Amino acid sequence: MRAAVAAVLLMAAPAWAQDRPVIVADSYPMAYFAERLTGGAAEVRLAVPEGRDPSSWRPGLSDIIEIQAADLIVLNGAGLSDWTTRAALPRARTVETARGLEAAFIATETITHSHGEEGSHSHEGVATHTWLDLDLAAQQAEVLATALGRALPEATPDDALTTLLSDLQALDVQGDALVADMPVPVIASHPRYEYLGQAYGLSVTSLDWEAGATPDAAQLIELRGRMAETGAGVFLWEAAPPDAAREAVAALGLAQAVFPPLAMPPEQGDFLDAFRQGLSDLETALTTSE
Amino acid sequence: MNALYLALANLRFHWVRTLVLIVAAALVGTVPVLTRTLLAQGEAALTARAEATPLLLGTRGSRLDLVMAGAYFTDDLPEPATMAAADAVWESGLGIPVPLHTTFTAGEARIVGTTLDYFDLRGLEIAQGRPFALLGEAVLGAGAAARLGLGVGDTILSDPENLFDLDGAYPLEMGITGIFAPTGTPDDDAVFVDIKTAWVIEGIGHGHDDIVVAGEDAATAAARVVQFARITEDNIDSFHFHGDPAGYPVTAVMVAPYDDRAATILRGRYLDAEGPVQAVVPADVIDALVARLLRIASLVDAVTVVVGLAAALALGLALFLSWRLRAPEMRTAFALGAGRGTIARLALAEVGIVIAAALAIAAPIVILLIYNADIIAARLIALGT
Repeated sequence: MRAAVAAVLLMAAPAWAQDRPVIVADSYPMAYFAERLTGGAAEVRLAVPEGRDPSSWRPGLSDIIEIQAADLIVLNGAGLSDWTTRAALPRARTVETARGLEAAFIATETITHSHGEEGSHSHEGVATHTWLDLDLAAQQAEVLATALGRALPEATPDDALTTLLSDLQALDVQGDALVADMPVPVIASHPRYEYLGQAYGLSVTSLDWEAGATPDAAQLIELRGRMAETGAGVFLWEAAPPDAAREAVAALGLAQAVFPPLAMPPEQGDFLDAFRQGLSDLETALTTSE
Repeated sequence: MNALYLALANLRFHWVRTLVLIVAAALVGTVPVLTRTLLAQGEAALTARAEATPLLLGTRGSRLDLVMAGAYFTDDLPEPATMAAADAVWESGLGIPVPLHTTFTAGEARIVGTTLDYFDLRGLEIAQGRPFALLGEAVLGAGAAARLGLGVGDTILSDPENLFDLDGAYPLEMGITGIFAPTGTPDDDAVFVDIKTAWVIEGIGHGHDDIVVAGEDAATAAARVVQFARITEDNIDSFHFHGDPAGYPVTAVMVAPYDDRAATILRGRYLDAEGPVQAVVPADVIDALVARLLRIASLVDAVTVVVGLAAALALGLALFLSWRLRAPEMRTAFALGAGRGTIARLALAEVGIVIAAALAIAAPIVILLIYNADIIAARLIALGT
């Protein structure tokens, strides 16, 4: 049985017969952390195809069989990959990094909506983007490092975690400096920023706008209503909006910032670069709105 | 040659008596061999399986029931534990917990709800198809597949728990995605599914159409819910689970500790007699059971010797009496010049033919049984109570 335990832990990936062990992650932050922690000693793959949202993506049978064959499967947890409740994954080779952080989860209202061809999906139960609180992200990285150390000890440099935590800590300090006292009201285009708001002093009210689309008249009326309710002076986009959308929001007197939710890789740079840029954008918008 | 010819002619003439003698002699010779072989194989199978199962966690109660249900998939089900027991092992970082849910059957084969880790830890190899990947998929042990005549691409229906229990578990039709290579263990006779599929059979998870209409509350709509009896590509996204996952039931949790130290620490954590969960080392329980079996086997041996002697005496008496009945015939043979030696050869030839015929019947039975002893023993063990 000891040999079997070792075999389970060191299970090779037959689907990708190769030298380097394969790690499959369900979201970009988990893939980024795995990449940093293994320092290139493992091949890190993002399970979600390019351009798809991890919270609404449903893997096909062939995707699941490929994922099953990985040496380590890294899940964010907090309900991000709902498909895992209907798929069979090898628990010994799966790590859910937000497991144990349930006390820090943020409950959300149920919102059902659709994304064109992807069909409808719901945000319910708890907010999923835990990594937008860098303190939680650091704890997730530690959980991942422990799992990597157990599953792929040869692929985990000793100082990788220390360096990653140091980088996350530096950004966290930058985030903590955004708001001095009371939480600042902010309106977001999509429900993604619960943890960002809680961690860095923002009281986030979420709309349900499609990324990259220009809001229609009804949406702008709704936005005006939310401004009146909350007194928000800042609008948060998840991706750079079309000029028309930016102008329409500016016309309401809102300062604007783009903060990518980072569930998928940013267009430029990596997780830290995009997060840093998002904080900087947000800082500028907060200053402008004062 | 003449003695053999005359003996055969006589036995053929009294064929009913001869047949009874042959069958009786065959049984007297076969039964002790069969008993010893099955006992030895049963003991070996029990011991090997127990040694391949390092630790079992389950609700505090009968240790034997826990081991039999968790390692041998018998009908003796202990009170269910919860997934919290498996989670606790994960959080301890001391070993790999493999939850086992063995409440249900399909085609009278035990449905074993587990995780893919079970296959890795037991070293099970897929002979046809692939392991389960989605809710509602099943992989059959070689014995179960052969007995039920099912293969990859077929479906299997879980057995209803109770025909008259309308609130009980409803049968779920499962697609068969793979067949395991035979192992000579209880795994051969099981139907393996993901543990979440077992929870769907139990009713903890289910899928149904969204039937709530505008202005209607969920409770009213629930009365119209028709749950899916088969999980398909079209309806799988509607399947969901209710309640806290840590409270979901498991029959037992098989644990593979990372090393001896981890095993000792784990066992120590469940020593509290007041705790709801107990840790059992199957080898300890089975060793005690086998020791009892061996004591019973010794008794059976003694009884077999006595019964064998009695049967041999009865057979001898039957032969003796038949010779007494043939006394006038022997006197005639003697008068015709046949010596005492010839008559003795005649008697020995008859006995020899009966014994040879008995051996001819017994030998194939014994060989067949010895050849299939592992399978028969596994079936007998799986029968439980």
